Order: sequence, then C-alpha cells, then structure tokens
Amino acid sequence: MMSRPQLAILAALVRKELTVLLRDGHALASLFLMPVIFIVIMSLALKDIYNPPLFGRAYAVDVRDKGPLADELMKRWVEKHGEPKALPADPTEALRRGKLRYVVAIEPTFSEVVSAPGTPSGVQVRLIADPALEISLFRATEAELSALVGEIRAEALQDRFTGLSTKGGQAIRLLVSTERLTLSLHPTAVQQNVPAWLIFGMFFVVNAIANLLVQEHDNGTLSRLLTLGVSPGIQLLSKGLPYLIVNCLQAALMLAVGVWLMPVLGGDGLSLTGIHWGSLALLLASLSIAAVGMALALASLIRTHAQASTIGPILNVLMAALGGVMVPRSIMPSAMQTLAGYSPMNWGLEGLMAVLLRHADPGEIMQPVLSLATFGSVMLVAAVILFKRRTRQ
Amino acid sequence: MLQINDLGYQYPHSAKPALDGISLTARRGQVLGLLGPNGAGKTTLISHLAGLLPIQRGQILIDGVPLEQVREDAPTRIAVAPQEYAFYPTLSVRENLQCFGAASRIGGKLREERIAQSLAFSQLERFADTRAARLSGGLKRRLNLAIALLPSPELVLFDEPTVGVDPQSRAFILEAVKTLARQGIAVIYTTHYMEEIEAIADHALIMDHGKVLRDGTLSDLLSEGATRLRLIVGNMDAATVCDHLAALGAPRIEGEYIVVTLDAGVSPATAIAAVESAGARIEQLDYGHYNLEHLFMALTQRSLRDQ
Repeated sequence: MMSRPQLAILAALVRKELTVLLRDGHALASLFLMPVIFIVIMSLALKDIYNPPLFGRAYAVDVRDKGPLADELMKRWVEKHGEPKALPADPTEALRRGKLRYVVAIEPTFSEVVSAPGTPSGVQVRLIADPALEISLFRATEAELSALVGEIRAEALQDRFTGLSTKGGQAIRLLVSTERLTLSLHPTAVQQNVPAWLIFGMFFVVNAIANLLVQEHDNGTLSRLLTLGVSPGIQLLSKGLPYLIVNCLQAALMLAVGVWLMPVLGGDGLSLTGIHWGSLALLLASLSIAAVGMALALASLIRTHAQASTIGPILNVLMAALGGVMVPRSIMPSAMQTLAGYSPMNWGLEGLMAVLLRHADPGEIMQPVLSLATFGSVMLVAAVILFKRRTRQ
Repeated sequence: MLQINDLGYQYPHSAKPALDGISLTARRGQVLGLLGPNGAGKTTLISHLAGLLPIQRGQILIDGVPLEQVREDAPTRIAVAPQEYAFYPTLSVRENLQCFGAASRIGGKLREERIAQSLAFSQLERFADTRAARLSGGLKRRLNLAIALLPSPELVLFDEPTVGVDPQSRAFILEAVKTLARQGIAVIYTTHYMEEIEAIADHALIMDHGKVLRDGTLSDLLSEGATRLRLIVGNMDAATVCDHLAALGAPRIEGEYIVVTLDAGVSPATAIAAVESAGARIEQLDYGHYNLEHLFMALTQRSLRDQ
C-alpha cells in the first residue's frame, strides 16, 4: 500500500503526464485521430467485401422472348435487383469496360421450352458477367437466376397439369425460409474494423510512452525525481495510469465513431444494443493492462528517440498484421491462423468480437481476458526490472 | 556536513575505476569547488551524492549519518542542479515548480510559499506562466536552480551549471551560489571553468582519473607553487638540466617544462645562474604562485578544456 505522501506524488505526476500529453498534438493525433481515420477508411473501403450487395449492381437484360414466362422472370428479377440499364449495342464490350456488371439474356423460345414437359432442348437463359465481378457474387447471381428459372418452370408445369396456380413464387417462399442472424459471427466491415483499429490504437501508446521516457531520461528529469526520493515504481505507475485513462477515452471514441459517425458516412452502423457492458468493460480493462504493460516494458528497454520511433510502430504493425487487425483471422490460411493465436492483439480482437457480435457474458470471454491480463502483468514486472536497471545507468 | 571516506566505484564492464579512494569534507556555508576534465569522476561523485549510484566501497556521511539512511529518511536534504535542463519543457515555470514541489513532498500552502521564494530567488517571477521550452538558456538554468531550492536543501550539488549560458546569466548563477553559501547551505560546485572556482570557492578539489590530486583551501592551493621555478631550455636535454638543479631543490620534468621546487633559502637567481653556468640557454621561465590553470596542468599534464 502506498502512503499518503506517495499518493500525493503519484497524483502530481499523473496530472503532469496528462498535461504534457494534452499539449502534445502529435501524440494526440497518433492516439486518437489515426485509429479513427483507419476505422472510417477501412470500413468504407471494405464494406462490400464484408457485406456484398447483390441489389443495385448495374445490369442489363436482353429479352428476345415475348411470352408470359419471360415477362414473369424479368418482373421477379427486377423486384429484387432494381431496374436494368438500357442494353448497349455491344453488351460484351460494355461488360469488359465495367459499365455493366452482368447481362441476362433470354432466348425467344424461353416461355415455350420452360412450360414444356421433358428435358429442355437447349439453353434458354444466359448470364454473362463483368470479368472483374467477384467470384462469390457471380456464383450468387448464377444460383439466384437458376433458382428463379426453376421456380417459374415448376409453377408453369403445375399450372399446366393440375390447374393449381401458385404463381408469384409463393410456394417456394412457403417451403424455404432464409434468415441472416444479426448476431452472426460474420461481421460487417464496421463490426470488424472498429474493434480491430481500436485495439491497434490502444497498443499504439507504446510510441507515446517510449518517446516520453527517452526524453525524460535524456533531459535528466527521471534522475531528478529519483534524487528527490521518488521510487522507480511510482515513476512507472505515473506513466502507466494516464495511459489507462487514454485507453478508456480511445475506446469510447472508437465505439462512438462506429455507432454514430459511420452510418452518417454511408457505412454500416455498429450496434451496441444488447451487449453485456460488464464484459465490454472487463475486456477493455484487460486490453489496456496488456497495452500499457507492453508499452512500459518496451519504453524501459528503448534508449533513443530513433528506436522509439521505429521499434514501437514496427512491432505494433507486425502484431496487427498477425493478430487479425489488418486481415481478418477467419480468411487466413490455417497455419497463419495458428500463428495469429500468439498475438495479444488477436486475443483482444476475438474477445471484443465475441462481446460485440455474440453478446458474450464475462464467463465466455474469460480466456482472452485472462490471457491479456497475464501478458500485461508479465510485461509490467519486466518494465519494473528494466526501468530500475535503466535508472542505474 | 558532508564527509566522504575512501569512496570507490567501478562501472560494470569498465577496466578502470571511475572513483578510486575519494575522500573529502564539505561544510555548511562553504563552497567546495570540484575541478576536473571529463572522465575525472566528478559526475560519478555527484551521482553518488544524489543517490543515483550505489556505494561499492567507502562511506558517505551526512552529519555523521550514512547517506543511504539520509536518503531513506529525508532525501530532499540534498538537492542537485544538474547540467541538463531537468524539467518538463511543455509545462510552464510554475507548473514545473508545482510538480517538483509535490515530488519533494511539500504540500498545500507551504508549497506555494516555497514556489514564491524560489521564483523570487531565481528572479523568474515574470516568467512564472511561460512554458519552460520558451525560456532562454540562462533562464532555463535559473529554473533548474529554482527547482533544486524548492525543498530548502542543506547541501546543493551544482553540476557544471554555467555551460552554454551568457555572461549575465553566469554572473547571476555565481552570485546565487555565493548567496546560498552565505545562508549556511553547503555547496559543491563542479565546473570546467577555473575562474569560476577562483571566484566563488572557499575550498577546491582537483580530480583526475577518479582520484583527488589536490584538496585544500583556495589560498593554500594557489600558494603551493610559491617556491616553484619552471623553465624551458633550448640547447640541453632536460635530464641533464635536472642533474645540475638537484643540489638546489627537487627538479622534475613535466612535459616540455623542467619544474623545480627550490629548497628553503635558495633564490631563483641562484638556480638560473646554475643552469646558465652549465651552458644551457633558458628560453622561458616563470616563478612563484600558481594560478589554478597552472596547478591543474602541473597535476594532470593537460588543460581542463583539452578533453
């Protein structure tokens, strides 16, 4: 336990750290602005990768059949995909140039062939796509078109032989129900990028702390405090505590960006409705301990501003790349996924995703919480040892 | 006030000791000047007194109490005005004083009083709300001093406090040091500038290679060479000249000089005559009291600024 005078010293030094930080525009920008910018840019840039829209892509139709089934097919397609563009004179060239994403061509005998029993005599519907169309989108469009043709054929044959009309796709809709759970483990770009860049920003305190320690070592203020009897432990604590506060503010800001700013900018919104706030607090606290612990240990090791400006960011970027911040772990090859499991950023990211997407309770995120807290504690012990050694030099 | 006995210290991975059997005494109301080139051991000595290095050998006592105990009980009895600008550049002068005042365990109203006193002593009142980074070099030195004086120390260590400052600020700092001594504070002052030692020190200590080469009052040190004759001869080797002078005193060769401390009753004229009658041609000579520069060069074979 600290004595009252020691607490007074700690309070004065924490106040000093916060004042110094508030007057350091570069440090504030790297801690708050940079992750916000990353969240906005990456969420918008990767929006379609995480949530590919089938609706609204530019397409055209070439309907040569005047029959009712071709009309029905087009009616249902337009209901889902919007009005088609006018068919250009050279559709293939338009596709190659990216002016259209796909063209649906219906042969003149479509209605006749589709409503006839037996094996169809030839291809009646063609899907021709932009070479740059993502393969997943191409497959999805192909599947949807096939299903729609099948649906219309089934309706036509039933009508013809039984007289029971089930037009409008009602039978299929009664038979098949699809639902995408909002709490699925497949995040949107915002759901992936907010926690990812929040964690990146939290670990970025290593730069600020390392530069501060180098500066204070060089200008003799660390020695001056030691001369005044301020122990290395209190000095380290006074460096760490303000950055725990900084981490809290970073978390609040990044989540606010996800909830309120991203929808305004045209991205998906981050929903915090229904999450377990205790889990979020627990996870952020353990993340902060890990980030500040690592920052203090590294800062105690670093000797020059050049080292502080390179080692910290490089390590951060490597941990982020490995830990699923830059590339989601789910799309990494299995060997890389195993490797990602060693990055504290990944522990934090998996935990945050569980809290934000699955609404995990504290018991469900105990593993990442304990891993982060243990990592942070080991780093803090290392920081004390390294800092004491440094003050002796 | 301060007693150091046989202090020794060797840095890890260093072949030679940084301090080798240092002994000295500093008294209240006295300025002890520490002179020595880089590598002499001055900063290592100051670091010991500031509690930044552990004592490997010897003893440091403050009023008879071991330094470790003093630092445990009342670390602010000893203050350091370091060579670096040891404060926070983005904080104002007053914010720096408040921070270091709190770190010195001075609280509440007393802290504000001490801050006002330190500002007044350092003549920094006008700059109290100026950020430290915007102060001139001289004012930064004054802030260093103001921070050191906050806890009302009994011993103040000045580590080359005038490096890189303008003459006006240097004069201010030297006057401040003398004022502190007059107030009964013990001062240890390290510098490269011998004229500063001559201006403010009551007692001086010359160090090199971790050892004390001379220790005494300034007047004793300066009169040490009262019977010293130093000459350069042009046409005879130094060893032969020393042979001719051996009957008149204790000759020795120091670089290009032949230095002889004459026996009692031997006049310099007698020594000069002895050298000339041996056929040597004297090209340069001086006789009598040292100044610190001469003494330092005689002891260390190098100039203070010839690092």
